[in-house]
Amino acid sequence: MSIGALRVIDFGTVSPLRSQTLWHAVAHGVSAGAPPTLSLMQPDAPYVSIGFHRRLDEIDQKHCCRVGLPVYRRMVGGGPVYLDDGQLFFQITLPLGMVPAVRARAVRFALDPALEAFRAVGIDASIEEAGDVVIGDRKICGHGAGQIEQAVVVVGNLITRFDHAAAARTVNMPDRETRGEFEALMRRYLLPTPADPDAFTAAATRAYGASLGLSPRIGRLSAYEEEKLAEIDDEFVEDEWLRGTPRGPATVWQVKVKAGVFLLRAADEATQAQVSVADGRIIRARLSDPELNGATAAAHDGLVGLTLRQGRVALSRLGPAGERLGSLLHEIDRVVRP
Amino acid sequence: MTIRTVSGFAVATDLAYDLERHMWVSIRESGVARIGMDSLGLETSGTLAQLSFRPEGEVTRGEPFGSLEAEKFVGPLVSPLSGRVLAVNESAMADPGLVERDPYGEGWFIEITPTRLAEELSLLTNEAETIVEQFGQKIRQYRIEGVLAE
Repeated sequence: MSIGALRVIDFGTVSPLRSQTLWHAVAHGVSAGAPPTLSLMQPDAPYVSIGFHRRLDEIDQKHCCRVGLPVYRRMVGGGPVYLDDGQLFFQITLPLGMVPAVRARAVRFALDPALEAFRAVGIDASIEEAGDVVIGDRKICGHGAGQIEQAVVVVGNLITRFDHAAAARTVNMPDRETRGEFEALMRRYLLPTPADPDAFTAAATRAYGASLGLSPRIGRLSAYEEEKLAEIDDEFVEDEWLRGTPRGPATVWQVKVKAGVFLLRAADEATQAQVSVADGRIIRARLSDPELNGATAAAHDGLVGLTLRQGRVALSRLGPAGERLGSLLHEIDRVVRP
Repeated sequence: MTIRTVSGFAVATDLAYDLERHMWVSIRESGVARIGMDSLGLETSGTLAQLSFRPEGEVTRGEPFGSLEAEKFVGPLVSPLSGRVLAVNESAMADPGLVERDPYGEGWFIEITPTRLAEELSLLTNEAETIVEQFGQKIRQYRIEGVLAE
């Protein structure tokens, strides 16, 4: 393949495992000198993928096992995600030197052509300041990025349909009510965008070629990448890989729906605070403390619309129980990350 | 610890630095080397979401000892020294914001027993005025390249 080419590999429909391991193998290939590569594939069955750093117990593994959903850990960022054949995955994999040094810029650089592809198939996508690909305030594409050896890979998906209920079921939740709220928030903030995957693939190929100044060429895996693929196929089903880096217990339980939209919960013995937050404001609160007595409903209503910091101040007016609950909000505010 | 502010960025001038990778090294009285990230590295990484460190074993200068996630981007943390891992900062793993709040203190990453200290320390920047000068050069470079806002 000549210099100045964008290798394009459309893997078609593949197994859940291969829908992860193929692009990891490509990253090793690009790191070793293969050309910049746009790869695409669709999984032939549903599964769950978890980001490189995330705790495995964020996933309801018992449920996944019961319904036959495999779980794979990927080497890029983000949280647990439910993936199925209603999604077309795309990955742009570039040598490290082609990518801006600042991470946010690197991700934006790699996602901008995808935006063009979305628009080319009639989806009026944009990128929020927080980094999500959206229409309005609804996320339409999951993305993640990572450096694998000397290559950078940025992944995303065209979500033509999405099973919010099935997705909500795969994440560990403290109770049924919270799961219902999670599903409702996903329905509110995650929007599938029906579009022709072939048209998207063609548009993405054109857009990435033009953006990178490279000529798209249909390609295939190299012998080295085939070798790496076999290794990664084995590695990704090992328990040690799936478990990830050992971490101590989390002080705050958190589930992210999209950038800026979270379910958060902290507890200290019998005192518990759970809040849903959107764009920095509490949209729902559930509090419990043995001494809160009849003030519970008022406390819940009083927190709606406040920031976590304002919520702490408001709760402090409720006496010792409010102080305890406010401390939990403070801990949530301290720990929650974008 | 002596902290100076260079073009808006704090730098501890009594540490040694791998300024290309934005890593600092503090050699403790025991001979243990503590490693962390400088304020400029944190600024260009974006808001830290996750950290992980290799819990044990050998690290080699120029090779990863852990990884960092910011903006959904997972990248390696590259060691400025070779040695054996003695400790990792569990508090920073649990609360990456600690690194942003106190990069030269409580927000350290790992501690190692260096195995090639004399040789590798000489490859780092470790004279106060040189640190300030080179740190400032890096900031200017990033501003020219548009990596940092003016």
